[in-house]
Amino acid sequence: MLIHYALVSLFAPVLGFLLLAISPSLRRQGLFAGAVSCLFAILSLVAALGMFWGLDPGGAAAIATVDWLPHDGQPMAQLGLQVDGISASMAVVVALVATCVQVYSLGYMAHEPRPAIGRYFAWQSLFLFAMLSLVLAPNMLQAFLGWELVGLCSYLLIGFYYQKPSAAKAAVKAFWVTKFADMGLLMGVVLMRLKLGSFSWEGLQPGPWIAIVALFIFIGVMGKSAQFPLHVWLPDAMEGPTPVSALLHAATMVAAGVFLVVRAWPLFELSGWMLTVMCWVGGITAFTAACMALVQDDIKKVLAYSTCSQLGYMVAGLGAGSMMAGYFHLTTHAFFKALLFLGAGAAIHAVHSNSIHDMGGLWKHMRGTALLFIIGTLALVGIPVFSGFFSKDLILEALQHGHMWGPLVLCFVSVGLTAFYMGRVIFIAFFGEPAKAGGHYDTPTVMLLPMVVLAFLAAVGGFGGSHLAEMYGVEYHFHLAALGIGGMVLGVGGLTLAWARYSSGMLGEQAFAFLVPLGDLIRSGPIDKLYDTGWRKGLLVVAGTAGWIDRYIVDGLINLVGVGVLGAAERARKLQTGRVPDYVFAVVLGFVLLAAVSALAGGAP
Amino acid sequence: MIPLSWYLLLSAALFSIGVYGLLTRRNTIAILLSVEIMANAVNLNLVAFSHHLADLGGQVFTLFTISLTVAEVVVGLAIVVLLYRSQNNIQADQADTLRW
Repeated sequence: MLIHYALVSLFAPVLGFLLLAISPSLRRQGLFAGAVSCLFAILSLVAALGMFWGLDPGGAAAIATVDWLPHDGQPMAQLGLQVDGISASMAVVVALVATCVQVYSLGYMAHEPRPAIGRYFAWQSLFLFAMLSLVLAPNMLQAFLGWELVGLCSYLLIGFYYQKPSAAKAAVKAFWVTKFADMGLLMGVVLMRLKLGSFSWEGLQPGPWIAIVALFIFIGVMGKSAQFPLHVWLPDAMEGPTPVSALLHAATMVAAGVFLVVRAWPLFELSGWMLTVMCWVGGITAFTAACMALVQDDIKKVLAYSTCSQLGYMVAGLGAGSMMAGYFHLTTHAFFKALLFLGAGAAIHAVHSNSIHDMGGLWKHMRGTALLFIIGTLALVGIPVFSGFFSKDLILEALQHGHMWGPLVLCFVSVGLTAFYMGRVIFIAFFGEPAKAGGHYDTPTVMLLPMVVLAFLAAVGGFGGSHLAEMYGVEYHFHLAALGIGGMVLGVGGLTLAWARYSSGMLGEQAFAFLVPLGDLIRSGPIDKLYDTGWRKGLLVVAGTAGWIDRYIVDGLINLVGVGVLGAAERARKLQTGRVPDYVFAVVLGFVLLAAVSALAGGAP
Repeated sequence: MIPLSWYLLLSAALFSIGVYGLLTRRNTIAILLSVEIMANAVNLNLVAFSHHLADLGGQVFTLFTISLTVAEVVVGLAIVVLLYRSQNNIQADQADTLRW
C-alpha cells in the first residue's frame, strides 16, 4: 500500500510534465497549464501524506525494486522505491513546499507571457518528479540519477529569463559548479560499488574505504548544498524567478545534499574522520555565509547567503554525529525559508525591485505579507516557540555533545549574525523610508494562501520533532540548556542591534565604521575572484599550452608527413612529359627489361 | 624448302626495324608505319609457325590480326588528322600538352 502511494506521488508530477511537454496547445494556455501542473502537485502531495500517515513509526522500510543493469548474470543495481521514515517525511516536505510554491506561482507568474508560464510549470513539475525520485531512491545509483535531474531542473529554472544575459550566465555558473562537485559524487558512487560491493547504503562493513567513499560523496554534497568554498553559485542562482528560489534554492534542491548524507547515514556514521571534516566545513560555511549576508542590499541575496549559512548548520550538525539534528533543521528550514522567499517575492512583486532600500516601509502597505515574513524571520533567527529554535538548538547541542568546539563557536556566533542580517532586512524593507515611491501593494490571495500554510508550519513545526524522531527511530526530547538560552539571547540581541542601527537611529553610520573595509571586501566577491584568477586563468594557461602542443607538435608531425608526400609527388609527376615518344621509349625499355629478366631467370619466354 | 629459322630471322629483323622506327621517328605517320611493320613481323611469325606445325589456326589468327591492325590504323590516322587540325603539325614530340 505504501508503495502504491509512493508510486502515485512520484509519477503524478511526471504526468503533469509530460502533458505540458507534449501538448504545445495546453502549454500555451498559460495559467490553465499552471493549474494543471498544480493539480498534479496536489495529487502528489496527497499521496505523500498518505505514505507519511500510513507508515508504521520505527517499522521496517517498504521497498519495491526491479533489477537493472545485468552484469555477469547478476543485476548490478536496482531501480525502485524505498518508503521509510526518512524518505516519507522528506517526500512530504518536498511535495508540500512544491505545491505551495506552484500555487503561489499562479499569482506571481501571472504577468509573464503565456508560453513562458507553460514552460515554467512544465519544469516545476519535472523538478518535483526529479526530487521525489531522489528522495524515494533505494540505492545510491538511483539517488545519483535523481540528483543529476534536479541539477538539470535547477539550470533550466535559473535560466528561465534566458533573454537576460545575467540569468543565462548564472544558470551556466550553477551548472558548472555543481557539475564539478558531481564529478566527486560520481567517483564516490563508482568507488562505493568497486570497494564496498554494492550501491546500497545498508549492511556496510567498517573499513578504510568507507571514509574515502564518504569523502567523495561529500564533495558532491558540498556542491549541491552550496558549502564553502563551492557556495558561489547559490547567490547567482537568485536570477531565477523568486518562487524557484524558494523551492529549489532554499527549501528542497539545495537541501538534497544534506538529505543524501541523511539517506546514506549508515555509510557516513562509519566514516570516522570524514565526520570531523564535514563538521568543520559546515561550521565555516555557516559563519562565512552569515558574514556575507550582512552586507547584501538585494533581499534575495540576503536570503541566499542565509540559506548557505543554514545549510552549513545542517552539515555541521550531521558532522557532529547527529543525523536527527541535521535532518530536523532541514525540515524546519524548508518551511521557514520557503516562506521567507515567498514573502520576499510578494514584496518584489509589489515594488518591482530587489533592493531592500527601494522597498522601505512596506509594513504600512502590506500588513499580511509583512507579518508572514516576520514569522519566517523569527523562525529563522531561532526565537523560542518558532520551529527554527528547536532545530537550531538541537544542532548546537549536537556540536557540544560531539565535542566539536571550533564549529560550535562558529555556529553559535552565526546565530547572532543571522539575527542581525534578518533584522536589517526587516527594519529597512518593512519599517524604513522607501527610496522609491509607487508600486501596487495588493498581494493576490493565491499568493497569500500558500504563505499562510508555510507560516503555520514554520511557527509550530518545531513541535513535530519528537514525531519525526520516532519515524527515524532515534531518541529526541527537547530540553532547554544553557546553550539554548545563550542562542536565544544572541538572537534577540542581534535583532535589537539591527533595530538600534537601522530603525531607531540610536546608532549612526559611525557605529560600524570600523567594519566598512571588511564589508567592501565581502561585496567584491573574493571567492569569485579567486576562482577567476586562480582557477579559470590557470585552466586557460594549461589549456593554451595543451592547445599549442596539439597545434604545432602533434599536428606538426602529421603535416610534415603530408608536406613530404606533396614534395615527392611534385617531383614524381615530372615523369609525365606528355610526349608520346617518351612513353613509347618507356614501354620498349620495360619490355626489354622483362625479356632480360625472364631470360636470365631461365624461365619460359 | 626454306627452313623455319629464316622466317624467324626475317621476322625478328622486321620487328627490330619497326622498333627502331618507333623510337627514332618524330612524324606521327612514320610511327604508325613502324607499328605496322612490327605487326607484320608478328603476322609473319604466325604464318611461318602455322606452316611448320601444319596447323591452320595460325593463319586464321593472322587474318584476325590484319583486320585488327586495319582498325588500329584507322583510329591512329583519325588521331593524326585531329592532331593536325588542332596543332597544325603532326610531330609527336611537339604534341606534349597532355602532361601534369
